[in-house]
Amino acid sequence: MTLRRGLLIIGLLMPGLGLILALIGTVVYIAVSQSFGFYSLNGISEFSTEFWSKMVGRKIFKRSIQYSIYIGVLSAIFSVALAYPLAIWLRKPFAGSNLIGAILKAPLLVHGLVAAFLFVNVISYHGILNQFMQWLGIWSEPRRLQNDPNAYSVLILQTWKNMPFALLLLTGAVQSISDDVLDAARDLGAGKWDRFRRVIAPLTISSMQAAMLIIFIGAVADFSFQVIAGPTNKQSLSQLMVSFKGRGDWHSAAVVGVSLMMIALVGSAILAAVARIIMRGRIK
Amino acid sequence: MVAIDIEHLSKKFGDFTALSDVSIDVQPKEFVTLLGPSGCGKTTLLKLISGFLEPTDGVIKIGGLDVTHVPPEKRDTALCFQSYALFPHLTVKENLEFGPRQKKVSSSERKARIDDVSEKLDLTAQLDKLPNQLSGGQQQRVSLGRALTMRPSVILFDEPLSNLDAKLRDQVRIEIRRIQKEYGLTAIYVTHDQAEALSMSDRIVVLNDGRVEQVDSPEQLYYAPKTRFVADFIGDANIFPGEVVGAISNGLWQVETGIGSFSVTALEAPKTKSVSLCWRPESAIIDTSGIKAKVVHRAFQGHFTDLIVETNETSYRVQTKRTDAQEGDIIQFLVSPDEVILLDKDT
Amino acid sequence: MTMEQLNKILLISLLLICAIWLIIPFTMAVLWSLVDPSEPWTADKVLPPVISLYRWVDMWENSSLKSALIASYTLAPSAAILSLLLAMPTSFALGRLKFPGRELAKMLCLLPLVVPAFITAIFFTSLLYQLGLSSWRPGAILFAHAVLFMPFAIRIMTVSFEQVRQDHIDAARNLGASHWARFKVAYLPALKPGIFATLLIVFIQSIEEFAIAFIVGSPDIVTIPTLLYAALGQDYVRPNAAVLSLILVVPNVILMLILERLLRSANPTLSSGKG
Repeated sequence: MTLRRGLLIIGLLMPGLGLILALIGTVVYIAVSQSFGFYSLNGISEFSTEFWSKMVGRKIFKRSIQYSIYIGVLSAIFSVALAYPLAIWLRKPFAGSNLIGAILKAPLLVHGLVAAFLFVNVISYHGILNQFMQWLGIWSEPRRLQNDPNAYSVLILQTWKNMPFALLLLTGAVQSISDDVLDAARDLGAGKWDRFRRVIAPLTISSMQAAMLIIFIGAVADFSFQVIAGPTNKQSLSQLMVSFKGRGDWHSAAVVGVSLMMIALVGSAILAAVARIIMRGRIK
Repeated sequence: MVAIDIEHLSKKFGDFTALSDVSIDVQPKEFVTLLGPSGCGKTTLLKLISGFLEPTDGVIKIGGLDVTHVPPEKRDTALCFQSYALFPHLTVKENLEFGPRQKKVSSSERKARIDDVSEKLDLTAQLDKLPNQLSGGQQQRVSLGRALTMRPSVILFDEPLSNLDAKLRDQVRIEIRRIQKEYGLTAIYVTHDQAEALSMSDRIVVLNDGRVEQVDSPEQLYYAPKTRFVADFIGDANIFPGEVVGAISNGLWQVETGIGSFSVTALEAPKTKSVSLCWRPESAIIDTSGIKAKVVHRAFQGHFTDLIVETNETSYRVQTKRTDAQEGDIIQFLVSPDEVILLDKDT
Repeated sequence: MTMEQLNKILLISLLLICAIWLIIPFTMAVLWSLVDPSEPWTADKVLPPVISLYRWVDMWENSSLKSALIASYTLAPSAAILSLLLAMPTSFALGRLKFPGRELAKMLCLLPLVVPAFITAIFFTSLLYQLGLSSWRPGAILFAHAVLFMPFAIRIMTVSFEQVRQDHIDAARNLGASHWARFKVAYLPALKPGIFATLLIVFIQSIEEFAIAFIVGSPDIVTIPTLLYAALGQDYVRPNAAVLSLILVVPNVILMLILERLLRSANPTLSSGKG
């Protein structure tokens, strides 16, 4: 390749890929540097592992990590676990399957904040769910469902929002399995569960992994659902990061941020590997 | 006991009738072919036997058990697919042991079966390969082997040779028949290729438009077709009309036709005076005592010459070993009476 | 039970569930947005006692809704156009030129989607402070949006460029067309659906974007999502939140449906899910 062509290619890639690399690269660089004490915005910039060592010792940090991973893992698992049977059910078109498909994918159109609001509205103290349960006679008085300590609200919201995405990825994968292969499995004695475990799952692994990865990263880094519907005694990592920044403690915010990135990367790799092992029975 | 007992089977898809009133008995270890043009219902019948479709009417019994409403995973049948349908993520060995594993066969027995099948089908060197690393012929054999390791009561074939090239087809045809005899399996084979059917089967079920035309051995079908469709579908036939003049003796009738008067055998009295008769092109003898006809087309085929001749405004196809007839010539031919067949139905 | 019967039962139960998870929440939101403040909607009544558009009018006149709408709806198209323009050269290179490392380059373009939104938001802000550009907020948000959503633009436009037919280009050249004329006649027709799709997607993403608008924008710049966030926080007035939610969702749904139509007619492979 000539020098001229090489320069042309680089020139073309600059405004697009170049800017992307510049922005993301700088953001990551600053985050990492600030976590080690550089680029201080209100003090002296010098290398220090103080912020890291202080943060690691903080209970709130450890709790946030546990909490965010908990949310991330469960959201990914629930979304995919719900999406699989639906994708298999919708594999072959039948009367109404298009409508159902569209309805199931509707949450993709709804903004996270709006979803959180609608949900909180429905489960609020005088909201329709409470009223319904009282009307049925199951509850004698309204219950406080909002901001529950187990973060069920957040998990429900994450699943609601992410299941359609998993469904989108899995539908394509499941439809690519030929009918004959599934019929052959049936003919050889495999019932529904065996067909899933031994044919469908292994053949759709990469889509499942992609879905779990993306959902995990998104859920681990969640801010909106957490602040609106989440438990008040725990903070997600993003929430923690934002609160440090709000107080002007950029360095601690950076520590949390870099930790979040690492957890997102490492966590998703682990999740993908574990999923593969379970589904395939061996690493191949 | 009959291996497969099909009684008055029908299948409708909405308004469309795919099969109507099919009744067949298949004996154990028999190789039966379902033969017919596309759309005749042979694949539907195969799917009904294997359990992928449920009949609208009728009963299917396999080995004396009523399996009409039993799903495919619980029937003792094994199907070889046209597309092979090998599990792409499993090795040949894993493909072969899929069925026995589902049946919870012990691992020593599984190994024995796989060793046996892979030896008979020459797959031993391929056991650790994935399907996409195999040739078409090898994939076909794995598909066959996968059905064999199941040791099913009935083995079903859905046009297994259509994706192979001609030379391979001949080889595999012989192999399938050999394996079926060796294992003593009852086999149902679907094809639209009559040469395949004739060469492989113990009996052939000829289907047309969802109905059974005739069930007989290949020789019977060829030399004694019952209907116009069968006569035409299996081999070549000259089908032409005739008038029944009268009965000669018991079972023997005198029929007047455009190429002469024949005495033909028929077990039942012809229902109408106008009947259809047929004879095979190779039955014609070129002889000076025959009727005159003009050669309108000549095709040299190597071991015989195909002639289309015209007489009395009707065309007939004649096959002869003689090569001296040219287009435009007038030749004389006759057909021996015992090679003229009276057809049942005029369809 | 046959497959058809099972399907029917599942269909009906799923429709019921969808009624619960889609229709009821939205109906509640609509009803709440229509509550008239003269008679509050208390728990003992099934429907709000008095319905009016008061909340809507009030929000329009008295809150930052107007400025938020202006901000959001000027930011989004600008970001869309900027993103498209920045993406074009790269997409051209990825779609029509061969060079070593092309696949890697394609993957690297997806980087913004991998880094969590709030990290990008916070440290981009930090970067702004470092560079002393902290007063240049609107521009900063515009820039961030354009780059953040470029992966979509690049992906769509790359596919579009791949579909431009070489023989059209050659024919145009052969007939003596200048660079611009060549572009117009050979490239543009194949690129048009991709251009529309890109503009639409980036527009939608920008309208909905929260993290950057919130962190970089506050407190001076208000977009609809940040306004909604504020409405859900300290000043939690349910009807106002309902109004804002509907303003956020309804145009989005309409735009997405238009996008779906467009993509389906242009190129089925472009329909990628919104993550």
